[in-house]
Amino acid sequence: MSEAASTFVAIETPAAASAPRGLFSWVATVDHKRIGILYLLTTLVFFVIGGVEALLIRIQLARPNNTFLSPDAFDQIFTMHGTTMIFLVVMPTLIGLANYLVPLMIGARDMAFPRLNALSFWLLPCGGLLLHFSLLAGGAPAVGWFSYAPLSETPYATTSGVDYWTLSLLILGIGSVAASINLIATILTQRAPGLTIRRLPLFVWMVFVNSFLVILALPALNAAIVMLFIDRHLGTHFFAPANGGSAVLWQHFFWSFGHPEVYIMALPAFGIISEVVPVFARRPIFGYEFVAASTVAIALLSFGVWAHHMFAVGLGHPMDLFFAATSMMIAVPTGIKVFAWSATMWGGAIRLTTAMLFAVAFLIQFTIGGLSGITFAVVPIDWQVTGTYYLVAHFHYVLFGGTFFAVFAGLYYWFPKITGRMLSERLGKLNFWMALIGFNTAFFVQHFLGLMGMARRIYTYPDLPGWGLLNMISTVGAFLLGASVLVLLWNIIVSLRHGKPAGDNPWQAWTLEWATTSPPPAQNFDRVPPIRSRRPLWDLAHPENPDPIVGGIAARDGFVLEKNRVGIVSFLITESVFFLMLILAYLYYNTHDMNGPTPATMLNPQRTGIYTLCLLASSFTIWLAVKKLERKKHSAFRWLLTLTILLGTVFIIGQGREYLRIFHSGVMVNSNLFATTFFTLTGFHGLHVCVGVIALLILMGLSLAGDFKQGRIEAVKSIGLYWHFVDAVWLVVFSVIYLRLLL
Amino acid sequence: MTTRQFLISAWNWNPWVIAICVITILIYSAQQRFHFTRKIGWLLAGLAVFFLTLASPIDALANGYLFSAHMLQHLLLLLIVPPLILLSLSPAPVPDSFQNGRWKWLNWILRHPLANWFLGVGGMWLWHAPMLCNAAVSNVWIHRLQYVSLLLMGFAFWWPIIGPWHKQRISPLAGIIYLFSACVGCTILGIIITFSPVEVCSIYLHPVDRLGILSLIQNQWGLTPAKDQQLGGLLMWVPACLIYFCGIFGLFARWHGETGDKEIIAESQSTKTIMEKPYVH
Repeated sequence: MSEAASTFVAIETPAAASAPRGLFSWVATVDHKRIGILYLLTTLVFFVIGGVEALLIRIQLARPNNTFLSPDAFDQIFTMHGTTMIFLVVMPTLIGLANYLVPLMIGARDMAFPRLNALSFWLLPCGGLLLHFSLLAGGAPAVGWFSYAPLSETPYATTSGVDYWTLSLLILGIGSVAASINLIATILTQRAPGLTIRRLPLFVWMVFVNSFLVILALPALNAAIVMLFIDRHLGTHFFAPANGGSAVLWQHFFWSFGHPEVYIMALPAFGIISEVVPVFARRPIFGYEFVAASTVAIALLSFGVWAHHMFAVGLGHPMDLFFAATSMMIAVPTGIKVFAWSATMWGGAIRLTTAMLFAVAFLIQFTIGGLSGITFAVVPIDWQVTGTYYLVAHFHYVLFGGTFFAVFAGLYYWFPKITGRMLSERLGKLNFWMALIGFNTAFFVQHFLGLMGMARRIYTYPDLPGWGLLNMISTVGAFLLGASVLVLLWNIIVSLRHGKPAGDNPWQAWTLEWATTSPPPAQNFDRVPPIRSRRPLWDLAHPENPDPIVGGIAARDGFVLEKNRVGIVSFLITESVFFLMLILAYLYYNTHDMNGPTPATMLNPQRTGIYTLCLLASSFTIWLAVKKLERKKHSAFRWLLTLTILLGTVFIIGQGREYLRIFHSGVMVNSNLFATTFFTLTGFHGLHVCVGVIALLILMGLSLAGDFKQGRIEAVKSIGLYWHFVDAVWLVVFSVIYLRLLL
Repeated sequence: MTTRQFLISAWNWNPWVIAICVITILIYSAQQRFHFTRKIGWLLAGLAVFFLTLASPIDALANGYLFSAHMLQHLLLLLIVPPLILLSLSPAPVPDSFQNGRWKWLNWILRHPLANWFLGVGGMWLWHAPMLCNAAVSNVWIHRLQYVSLLLMGFAFWWPIIGPWHKQRISPLAGIIYLFSACVGCTILGIIITFSPVEVCSIYLHPVDRLGILSLIQNQWGLTPAKDQQLGGLLMWVPACLIYFCGIFGLFARWHGETGDKEIIAESQSTKTIMEKPYVH
């Protein structure tokens, strides 16, 4: 070990590395490890809340015609259970784990943007509290976690529950997107020397792919939620069929987010399993390349299958046909993964620790959930069972039997690293067996209930033969599952105090996080071991028998990226999707005739064309400004910046005058669907221009204060890119709204 | 007319199509000096698809009857035929006439992935502007121009990914972004066509029943104009993206197969003995 240590790579000297203490230091922290722990603790609280809600549901359903919960309370509780578990538990747990582990696994000091990291975390409790505040403000949302329109529109959801739901999800969505941008930038730019992308641990690779899913899928939800909110508060008609809106459009928007979301909740779990299974089978993962590539395949396909959630809507045969085919296709890459994990265990020296037990149970339960999932791709079966407990059983097998079991496996595996103490294996085994028996008892019988026709989302059921018994079994199982969580909590509390000290690498694992102390110091590493393969710690411990070098001895990938650029580009990708949804909504509603104001009667392409030229010119001036700044011509930079700000302001004034003209002719945002979509689309663009102008003003202030004199001009380049993006979006919006009129 | 009769009778033995196939095979053989490798399989597959696209009943249906058949032709010519033919070519250095000679301008296009991308994705959007779409169906010369331009744009699009001049290929990761963004481009178009209440190609709304198969299509196959357009949009949206995805997986395989530059290959050969050892505890 000592001679090997001479080849260790020192990484940047740490700043003052003594960990601050006290409660405030946790609130003010920007350390990714503390933020990761905060994520995990917060989600644990929401997990308990969501779990109690689940038990309330199960008590109500334990007997036929039960009156424990009123219908309305039942609706509120299952809505809150779904929303809490998905947005406040599963997603943030996986993000929290990634937050803690990714920098350690890639040998980095911290995330690329530590302050942004703190922001993304604190949006989580904000969103969670906002959602639960609805309980005090007249009642929780009672429209399901998908808030189908028109049920979620004002006439049908009269309390403010849905409003809290929209605001809370918007905040949580922004937090998730920010965290994902951060993860992308971290993985692309903060890797230790030698850790090329092809050598990434699979957990990191899957978090990486998953982050792209998040930044591409979440804005679709955010756009839909914004429209719903505008519908509810400004009386517009996006999803209100009474005034020409389309409830089906909501479903399309929601599920175009919702299906990728399923994989957002699964991919990091796959990553956990891909780390845990090899370590406890004492073999490297079988078919690394296939596991990595199938992750990409799942991510790509997940955007092309959403309509299988809508077979019962009546989309027509052509749609059903294509989406049934793609939905079946997505089983292939998932199957490849299951094979790879099984093949890793095959012939391995398996150590059945609690973590491994959970991983094995994951494999079996996830496969069951996956198989029942394929049955939904068969359209006629889908029509029969889509509204029943068969579906409930299916997605709980995927999300609890799959994702949660993987999270438990990950918790038992990484707890020693996080806290420095081992979780008790004795309590762990108890926890595992209770969870396994409880989970399968609770949910396996629901397959039968569903096939017998028991409808989901209904507060009770008639006393048909067998239904009462099966539901009682399910309820007993749910309570056993709940008790297993208590064992876990007890295990955590006991082990934190009296657990066996873990040491650096208690499992003899091979990835970088085990190269540092447990818990890691504030700076993570003083130096990282040399990395030439996918298992650097194996190579270190077995210099006589190292893994094959992956991709040659090259210590770097063929490209070098700058973190600010990666950050802003990821941000612009997510913004593009947001605008794409607004543009599609505009096109959807404005291609056929309607009553009231129309684009042809309201808009003047020539006049707006002039303002468009101003905006385009501003793109040129900001480009020139950045060029000048690169050559350190500061006063020329400031003049060009001023010109850009002026041109942007002229555009805003032009848009303002256009709005006033339309208002004066008596047209408001709620007049008809043209007005609704026009004001929403151009309004959001105008908002972005205003934000851009403010950002440019800040740049001006910084420039006057002499901030760019040292040549650190990444901020200017990033804002420049943002400004180009805003202009490019306007070009598309202008073509879609105005140029179409000239054709 | 029954489906069977239609499928047998609707072949169109266009001499142009056959001539192009024969000439291509001759040129290929001459260029390979009649020493064939397995790569000729790609060429034959490409030409077979080309022939089927323009001579089989697909062409008869695309000729004024079905928008979806037209879309199928479009996809085959843009996304299937060019890559198959490019795959049949052996790797080669960039010829001098392209580097400095009179083909320099063409080389400029081939060298810039962004230009190739816009040709490939733009081609798709351009020919679905309602005006051009209708013109291509009603005027035979515009129709031929459409075929030729689709093929050329297809070649341009796939050039940076699987072109024979390896120096001009883009890196696998850049290629993945290239193909994914193309998929986004055609997905948006596909979605718009699928959900648009307006006819993209109004000429397909009232077909002139030259072959007497209109009742076969609309009654027996159940392809009303509305369904036809939906099907066309879905073809552009789903299978087109799957083709791009195939390209992405190919690039992924290429990327993971790369060993790095030459000295690295030499070094890994010296470590070969180590690699052959099993690494179980």
